[in-house]
Amino acid sequence: MIRAFVLSLAMIAVALPAAAHKLRVFAFVEGETVKVEAKFSSGRIPKAGEVRVMDAEEALVLTLPLDPEGMTSFPLDPDAAADGLMIEVRAGDGHSNYWLLTPADIQRGRVGQ
Amino acid sequence: MRRLRALTAGVAMLAASVAAAAEKPVIAAVNYPLAYFAERLGGDAVEVLFPIPADADPAFWRPKLKDIAAIQAADLIALNGAGYAAWTTKASLRRSRIVDTSAGFSDDYIQTETVTHSHGDGGEHSHAAIATHTWLDFALAARQAEALASAMARRVPEAAATVDAARSDLIGELEALDREAAAAAEALRGRAIIATHPRYQYFARAYGLDIRSLEWEAGEAPSEKQWRDLTALAEETGAAILLWEAAPPDAARERAAAAGFADAMLPTLANRPGTGDFLSAMRSALADLAALAPTD
Repeated sequence: MIRAFVLSLAMIAVALPAAAHKLRVFAFVEGETVKVEAKFSSGRIPKAGEVRVMDAEEALVLTLPLDPEGMTSFPLDPDAAADGLMIEVRAGDGHSNYWLLTPADIQRGRVGQ
Repeated sequence: MRRLRALTAGVAMLAASVAAAAEKPVIAAVNYPLAYFAERLGGDAVEVLFPIPADADPAFWRPKLKDIAAIQAADLIALNGAGYAAWTTKASLRRSRIVDTSAGFSDDYIQTETVTHSHGDGGEHSHAAIATHTWLDFALAARQAEALASAMARRVPEAAATVDAARSDLIGELEALDREAAAAAEALRGRAIIATHPRYQYFARAYGLDIRSLEWEAGEAPSEKQWRDLTALAEETGAAILLWEAAPPDAARERAAAAGFADAMLPTLANRPGTGDFLSAMRSALADLAALAPTD
C-alpha cells in the first residue's frame, strides 16, 4: 500500500513546470476502488466540481461530485474499466483536466503494487 | 521432402525475423524532432513510437487510452521538457523510463509574457509560462539529441553501439544547421519580423532576430480583426517581413504581399513534414528565410 502511494507520488512528480496555475487531476486504483484527487497547481483545493468517468471509447460511465477536499472515489467496475478509464474533472471557471488510467495502471492498483 | 524442408526453414526464418522486429526496443517521442533524432540514433536497432496524427499539433495532442498504454510500455519516453506536451502530466509515466531532453539547459528556458487574470475567489493573480519550442535553437536541439543519445545508450544497452556510431554525425549535422541558421539570420538582423504564431522565441534569441508574434491559427485564413492586428503591429515595429508557421491559403499570402510584406514559411516541424525530414525541411525553410534579405 505504502509502495503504491510512493509510486503514485513519484509519477505525479513527473508533472512539468509549465502546468502553472492549472487544475491538476490524479487518479489511482487501490484494491477495488478508484480514487480521484484534484488540486490547482497553486495548491488551492477546488471547492466543488464534477467528475466524469469515461471508458476507453470515451463513453460516459458515471458522473459524481468532487467532495470539499477536492477528492472522490467510486467502486471499480472491471467490465467498464477493461480497456482503461479516463477521469475528467470540471471545477468551474473553465478549469478542467483529466487523468488516464490504463489497464496496466488498474492492474497494479488492484494487486497493490 | 526437400521442398517441404526448405519451406519449413523459410517459415521459421520469417517467424524469427518477425519476432526480432517485434522485440525491438521502443523509443517513444513527444514531437517529431525527438522522433527524428531517435530514428537517426537508433537506426534499425530500435522502433520509434510517434503516435501523433499528421494533422495534430503534438503540443496539444490528447492521447487515447490505447496510445498511453503503448507509450507506457516503451523502453524509453523522450520528453521535450519546458512544459511541452501537457498530456505527459495526465498519465502515469515511469520516471525510470523518461528522459527530459532539455533538463540540462532548463536555466536557459525563455519565460513568455506574464498573464494576469482572476477567477473564483482567488483574486487577481499572475503566472508566467515557458516557451516550449526549444529545438528551434539548433544548438539546443543538438544538446537535446545528446541527452537522448545518452539515455538511449543507458536505457537500451542492446542499441548502445548503434547509438554511439550515429551520435557524432547527428550532432555534427545539427551544429551545421545552427551555423546555417546564423548565416541566414545575419542579413535580417535589425529588421523587425512578425510571426503569425508565437513559436519562435528560441529561434529569435539564438540568431539575434527581432520577432514579434500574432496569434493566428496555422494554415488558416486570417479574420479581418487579425489583419487589423497585423497592420497595427507592423506600424508599431516597422516590420515588413511576415513568417508563416504553415502554408496559408493563397489569398492570404496575396493580401500580405499587397500590404507590402515579404513572407516566408518557417515550419516548427513539431510534427512530421509531408516531404523530407527534419534537416532537409529546415534547411529549405532557412534558404527561403535568407532569400528575404535585401540584395543590394
